[in-house]
Amino acid sequence: MNFYLPIAEMSVNILIFLGMGAAVGFLSGMFGVGGGFLMTPLLIFSGIPSAVAVGTEAAQIVASSVSGALAQWRRNNVDIKMGTVLLVGGIIGSIFGVQLVGILRRLGQFEFFVTMCYVTFLSVIGGLMLVESLNEIRRVHREKLSPSRKRRQHYWIHRLPLKMRFHRSKLYISAIPPLLIGITVGLLAGIMGVGGGFIMIPAMIYLLRMPTSVVIGTSLFQIVFVTAATTILHARQNQTVDIVLAVVLMVGGVIGAQFGAVAGEKLRGEQLRFLLALLVLLVGLRMAWSLVATPGEVYSLSTGTGGFR
Amino acid sequence: MIPFLRRLGTLSNVAIAGMLMICAVVPSVAQQRRQRATPVPMPERAVPPPTPKSAPEMAAAEMPRETVQADISTRRVAVTSNFTGTEIVVFGAVDHSRQPNPESGYYDVIVVVEGTPSRLVARRKERVLGLWLNTDSLAFQSVPNYYAIASTRPIEHIASGDVLKAAGIGFDYVPMVLAKGAEAAGAAEIKQFRDAVVRLKQREKLYSEVDYGATFIGRSLFRASVDVPANVTVGPFETRVFLFRNGELLSRYVARLNLEREGVEQYLYEAAFRFPLLYGLATVLLAMMAGLLASTLFRRGAH
Repeated sequence: MNFYLPIAEMSVNILIFLGMGAAVGFLSGMFGVGGGFLMTPLLIFSGIPSAVAVGTEAAQIVASSVSGALAQWRRNNVDIKMGTVLLVGGIIGSIFGVQLVGILRRLGQFEFFVTMCYVTFLSVIGGLMLVESLNEIRRVHREKLSPSRKRRQHYWIHRLPLKMRFHRSKLYISAIPPLLIGITVGLLAGIMGVGGGFIMIPAMIYLLRMPTSVVIGTSLFQIVFVTAATTILHARQNQTVDIVLAVVLMVGGVIGAQFGAVAGEKLRGEQLRFLLALLVLLVGLRMAWSLVATPGEVYSLSTGTGGFR
Repeated sequence: MIPFLRRLGTLSNVAIAGMLMICAVVPSVAQQRRQRATPVPMPERAVPPPTPKSAPEMAAAEMPRETVQADISTRRVAVTSNFTGTEIVVFGAVDHSRQPNPESGYYDVIVVVEGTPSRLVARRKERVLGLWLNTDSLAFQSVPNYYAIASTRPIEHIASGDVLKAAGIGFDYVPMVLAKGAEAAGAAEIKQFRDAVVRLKQREKLYSEVDYGATFIGRSLFRASVDVPANVTVGPFETRVFLFRNGELLSRYVARLNLEREGVEQYLYEAAFRFPLLYGLATVLLAMMAGLLASTLFRRGAH
């Protein structure tokens, strides 16, 4: 079943991409992650131009996170004020990220840059998750309780100016750290086509010390709007959003996520994280390989009616 | 016994009727084939096929000069959502043909189909600190997106390099215009990048050279076909037809066709480049609706 993608300008078998969307959707439903950091590399591996993969994946993340965000909203698990600060930072970061994509594309370095970003993030995140999940598995086996974390009272974050009160999170902290976290996540969304939950959630827990009950809802709230803004910015600036490909991935993704969520309930948390860590490391290795392996052809062409890909 | 014989009789009747029908059909097919294959005898048949040396003089003395005309099977090719490539068929005829029969190889035909020119940057990777990254590049202002040659035999057998160069036939003469300032790269460097463009485009099946892709099917009628892959860029295509005799270019003809996007793709493509903001907003709206629809659908299904 071949289908012509108008922006990627290639004819592809739609079933492959539907299956890819479903597979990543299944994993994201099972692990409770966005899946952008798996989907974008997969799209690049399958021959979609890097910039189109990034722009299109942003649109898919909107679809896959909107229902989760709404569910959290209904349960009153969203800190709107904190979410808004993160969102403002996110949009600033996204504007810079999308601009950077345009500049790097013109220089012919975007593919290299995005691959480097993925190799770095995937190996760091995958490595940390692997260590953490292995420790957890060992701990569960020994049936020992980990010592509870000490709450440092004089934290450097508390000394920053521009303090704001976040009622829902029961925090009175400076707006600068959440703004910076937002900017980082927005940059990643613009450059890598990811939601950025894997950066934002640990940052919210360990840096901002937000209560875990509002962390997921607030991050989803931010992700929906930042990826939506990123999609519009990519479409406007770089014309790299393929609506046909996006719809195919959305359909596959939402179906896969439903089954993944069911499967996820049957597995233990630390085992899930161990599996996910392995998967993340594998994708990172595959990307690293494309940087160091001698290519069959050292020349490449970039064309495209709307700009250089 | 009798019923069996009767059945045998009807069977044989059917068989005879069938054979009669085949006999009725076969001659007509044979006739058609004969009509197509063997040309009607013409005064030229009396003239023996001229030897290579005497050909030009004889042509000038006795006959009006040959000219070639051609047309394309479809003037407009629509690129729709299920476009998986197409075939462009070029039909042509030689006026005042002196060819005794289609197999004689009296004339040579080269058909060059050239696609829409577009901007392009060729890049070369080099190993820097163990990592492969793009280092050198060459920008082209215009390179035909598609370039196909179909000929009655390998083009280097048809005419000399100089003749082909003058006519602009062959991968070495694909019209590639360098971008401003790119000339500074030096001739050797430019040649390397040009060759790389041709090689990569060949790999994508966008550039092709089909020896024996053109054939004469009558004394004057010929046909050539080239494949157009799905990844082609839409726009006007130019088809040039060259008629050769003994390495000499006798006549040429230009025909045009258009590749167009049709249906939903055309709207999407135009929207993406002409109304990018609206296109982006529409994509986001679609994504939000898809997510919400899925969550309500599956929630209802689950409970």
